[in-house]
Amino acid sequence: MTTRVRSAAEPATTEVAARTARGPREHLPAARRAGPRARLGGVAAFVLLGLWLLGRRLGYGPGEYLQLLVDGTVTGAVYALVAVGFAVVYRVTGVINFAQGAFVMLGPMLTVSFFRALGGAGAVALATAALAAVAITAGLAMAVHRFTLHPARGASALTRIIITVGVYISLQGLALRIWGPRPYVLPAFTTLQMADRLLEVGGVVLQAQSLWVWGTGVVAVLALAGFFEGTVVGKAMRACAVNRTAARLMGIPVDRMATLAFGLAGVLGAVAGIVLAPSTRPTYDMGLDLGLKGFVAAIAGGLVSVPGAVAGGLVLGVLESLWAGVTVAGFKDLFAFVMLILLLLSRPQGWLEAGHE
Amino acid sequence: MRQGSWGFRWLAAAAAVAAVGVWDLVQPGGLARLSGGLFTSDLLIRTGLFTVVLVGLNLLMGYAGQASLGQAAFYGMGAFASAIFTVRARVLGIPPAVAEAWWWPWVVMVLAALAVGAFALVVGLAILRLRGHYLAMATLGLGVIVYIVLRENLGMPHLNLTGGFDGIVGVPRLRVGGVQLWPVQVYFFVVWAAALASMALGLNVVHSPVGRALRALHGSELAAESVGVDVGSLKAKIFALSAALASVAGSLYAHFQAAVVPDTFGFVPSLELVVMSAVGGMSSIWGAPLGALTVLLLEQLLRTHVLGLVPAVSGELEPVVFGAMLVVIMMYWPGGLVSSRRTQAPVWTSR
Amino acid sequence: MSGLWRGRPWRAALCLGVAAVLVGVLVYPLVAAPAARVGAPYRIGFIASVTGPGASLGTPERDVARLVQERLNREGGIAGPDGVRHEVQILIQDDQSRADVAASLARRLIEQEQVHVLVGTTLSGPSLAIVPIATELRTPNISMASARAIIEDPQTKRMRTWIFKPVPENLHSAAKQAEYLKAAGIDRVCHLYENTAYGQDTFASAKQEFPKLGIRILYGDSFDRFATEFPQVTRVRASGCQAVVIGSIPPAAAVINVAVAGRVGPRKIVHGHGACSPDLIRTAGQAAEGTVMPCGKILVADQLPANDPVRRVNLQLIEEYSRLTGGQPISTFAGHAYDALQWALLGLQAVPDGQPLARVRELARDGIERIRNYVGTHGVMNLSPEDHLGFDPKDFVIVTVQGGRFVLLPPQRWK
Repeated sequence: MTTRVRSAAEPATTEVAARTARGPREHLPAARRAGPRARLGGVAAFVLLGLWLLGRRLGYGPGEYLQLLVDGTVTGAVYALVAVGFAVVYRVTGVINFAQGAFVMLGPMLTVSFFRALGGAGAVALATAALAAVAITAGLAMAVHRFTLHPARGASALTRIIITVGVYISLQGLALRIWGPRPYVLPAFTTLQMADRLLEVGGVVLQAQSLWVWGTGVVAVLALAGFFEGTVVGKAMRACAVNRTAARLMGIPVDRMATLAFGLAGVLGAVAGIVLAPSTRPTYDMGLDLGLKGFVAAIAGGLVSVPGAVAGGLVLGVLESLWAGVTVAGFKDLFAFVMLILLLLSRPQGWLEAGHE
Repeated sequence: MRQGSWGFRWLAAAAAVAAVGVWDLVQPGGLARLSGGLFTSDLLIRTGLFTVVLVGLNLLMGYAGQASLGQAAFYGMGAFASAIFTVRARVLGIPPAVAEAWWWPWVVMVLAALAVGAFALVVGLAILRLRGHYLAMATLGLGVIVYIVLRENLGMPHLNLTGGFDGIVGVPRLRVGGVQLWPVQVYFFVVWAAALASMALGLNVVHSPVGRALRALHGSELAAESVGVDVGSLKAKIFALSAALASVAGSLYAHFQAAVVPDTFGFVPSLELVVMSAVGGMSSIWGAPLGALTVLLLEQLLRTHVLGLVPAVSGELEPVVFGAMLVVIMMYWPGGLVSSRRTQAPVWTSR
Repeated sequence: MSGLWRGRPWRAALCLGVAAVLVGVLVYPLVAAPAARVGAPYRIGFIASVTGPGASLGTPERDVARLVQERLNREGGIAGPDGVRHEVQILIQDDQSRADVAASLARRLIEQEQVHVLVGTTLSGPSLAIVPIATELRTPNISMASARAIIEDPQTKRMRTWIFKPVPENLHSAAKQAEYLKAAGIDRVCHLYENTAYGQDTFASAKQEFPKLGIRILYGDSFDRFATEFPQVTRVRASGCQAVVIGSIPPAAAVINVAVAGRVGPRKIVHGHGACSPDLIRTAGQAAEGTVMPCGKILVADQLPANDPVRRVNLQLIEEYSRLTGGQPISTFAGHAYDALQWALLGLQAVPDGQPLARVRELARDGIERIRNYVGTHGVMNLSPEDHLGFDPKDFVIVTVQGGRFVLLPPQRWK
């Protein structure tokens, strides 16, 4: 590496030009010169080592780690679904939809109400209630876009984000008005009662509901992939994500695609909430925490990429579970964000190749 | 806008604020009664506190274009610093002669602002390389981390410095010499002096070469760099300035509320700051007091008057109405209320 | 004039009639009950967390405030020591579980609305934010939250002059749990608590009270209140503890109850008094059967012995509450709100008519501090300048869940 002696008279522009001429990375310190994958690997190794050391202190063996891992993939699958909702909306509209958490909450709450109305027992009633809840949430999501975001489409991204914040606040307030602050119960899908069946596989204890969560996650992702690859509408949506103007020139109704994207996010959010609900007790304020975690997962995955969102969700779930299993009480919530910041710092330009803004 | 004209506007604002303050001092509660219970001293002081924070946030977000979803953390750091070094002074080994002196809380306020600013500078140099949503995320993470650390007693429960979840009660009032700057009608002047000073600072920055550099940075970092703006260092400095302002506001808040609770400084409060900034007008220093006042007034209105109209409904309707009003404001005033015309009214024509 | 009215008999009758009327008019005011004078109306400010994370506590409290207001309207208010009746108006506000909002509301209620007594609020953090304001503006404040620091200055350990609370603390709950555990022959426990102010405080209290009766906490850990997976269960099983103590409120208390019950075998599950809510039974179902917790008597009012004065008060409250809320079962939080409001009314009842605002507040405060033998929802309470809580820890009862309802567990059945 040659050193350039810079005289005071030289203007700044040549410095920049010179920097790029020398090769993009030579002036950086060694750590930053390593490629992003290597840095990520470094961060991952550091985190896993830390977890292992803490686990050893508690006498953890492979059985415990496996249990934590499996537990983590269950919550991770839910985070993934929520994250995909964020990603889909962002790709097509460029908006970060803070109301996503409200969709996650409305799914189970509506299901509980419909289920009760249909008699409160039986698989048919539950399935019908769930379908109706998803449909209504999707419809509501589309209405949100059509009546608040679509008219404001000329505004800046931040303005539109704040609109979704306002929508979230309203929806949560409405939920409180309708359902009150009490927690509700959605029966486990396997037993159709509050108590779920426990399964033991290879030393790992699972709730039967976990199978439903995984299954739903896989089906949802596959269905989404099929939709984007296989159908005309799906391909049209992808076109909007790549280049709005070009898509419009090709005759694609961009604004309707945006509304549809919101509908998809509503479906994904509602499904995530419904499939999680039997393990937790749905309450009117459950959306904030899940929405935030899904958002973190989506960003970790690059925000624009659906596979990235899925990966981000799973990784977040697993690491969070591992951390919760080994660490001191109280600092558990810290972990997701520390991990996130380390992840972001390891590649400041973001993890996406194409420079979407 | 002509170079010097902002000075006149500012003086007019200062005069108006002073007039309000004197009126409230001479006839406590008079303004509140006249306005049907809306413009209370409490509201006016909180508006002033948030104005200080929002000036910094607007410089960062509106001018420099750097997102921040964790600003409440700096506010909280200032508040806790003031609380800890006055209430827990003994635990920290500070001699009572110093801890009870009238000038001590002021010294703490200044030192805290410097420390928080320095912290933000260091952190900023690291995270401000991130762009757009990634930066927003990193600031969000930072905010939550600070909140958790504060909530967990800094990891040292035996010292009980931050008081855990319940926080610290009993923060003393500010004094000058032997004179206590209390009751609220007097404290109004302290807070608004700070608010007006921060606005003057902000306006100064905006109308200076630094301000132009900020706007260049907002437009395109690469272009700004190519004309000689030291992008990295400028971003970090503005971040540090916004953090220091938030810290001062936090200290003033601690002496106002006398009780400091960690929940006041989490993610949702940071989001609310961003909302206030957007509602007022992010790209304007005047948007700071406007945004703070609008949001606080709206909340006040809903709490007192909605209840009067529909008593059976009580608290549950407030969030619905508040959220709806927020949506409406952003739809019709996307540039914030400070943009006097409904410039980008809902775009009903295709674009 | 007709001749009919002349004549002695008629004149005598007329004179007698006029005399009777005159006597009546003169004597009547002296013998009849004095007409009740009506004094100026009293205002009680009431702040609760009707929305936000504290909503499941604050909503029943708000409902009780409405209940008490209705009762006051029916009865025409309260009477002072001089017999003068005063209408009472309860101004209900929601602090959204936020300290800042609570502080603003407190200031507004005291300064603008000029309330005579302030009752509030639901959670500890916001209550602590109200403390400096009530103290500075010299208004009696009765909190419905549990933190000790609300009524006691942590530096000087003295009672705060203007602040009171009828709510027992986690220390009392932990002491009762320890009593039960000892009687049940358990001396090694695990303690799981939710990662909130309440949960952390239950753990701190357990660490303080359990060792006094020789009970060791082998493993203590927190969990996220939204968690659905609980790795802590593995460590519970590995620790060798005989019982699991849980410090949480529903719904988290129910979720972890379900998770633990399925996987820790015959170990006893002991909740804290935050789980004393019908929501626990509703959302934990079968898993809650057999769990025990220290609760206020209000939860098992119908099972109290007939000579317990608390029984009557509670049964009446439960009936009115059920009517007002359309059949909702009672919870301890409703009881706290009721006691707090009753204290406020008792304080106001000690104020003679015609006092200026500041004096009413002072006298009401004195009246509250002098409350003796108040029969409340959680027990019989006695206040004094050294004790602004007045709760006798012996008034906690151990309650278990049987057949989907709370059942009183007398000491002989603690095994």
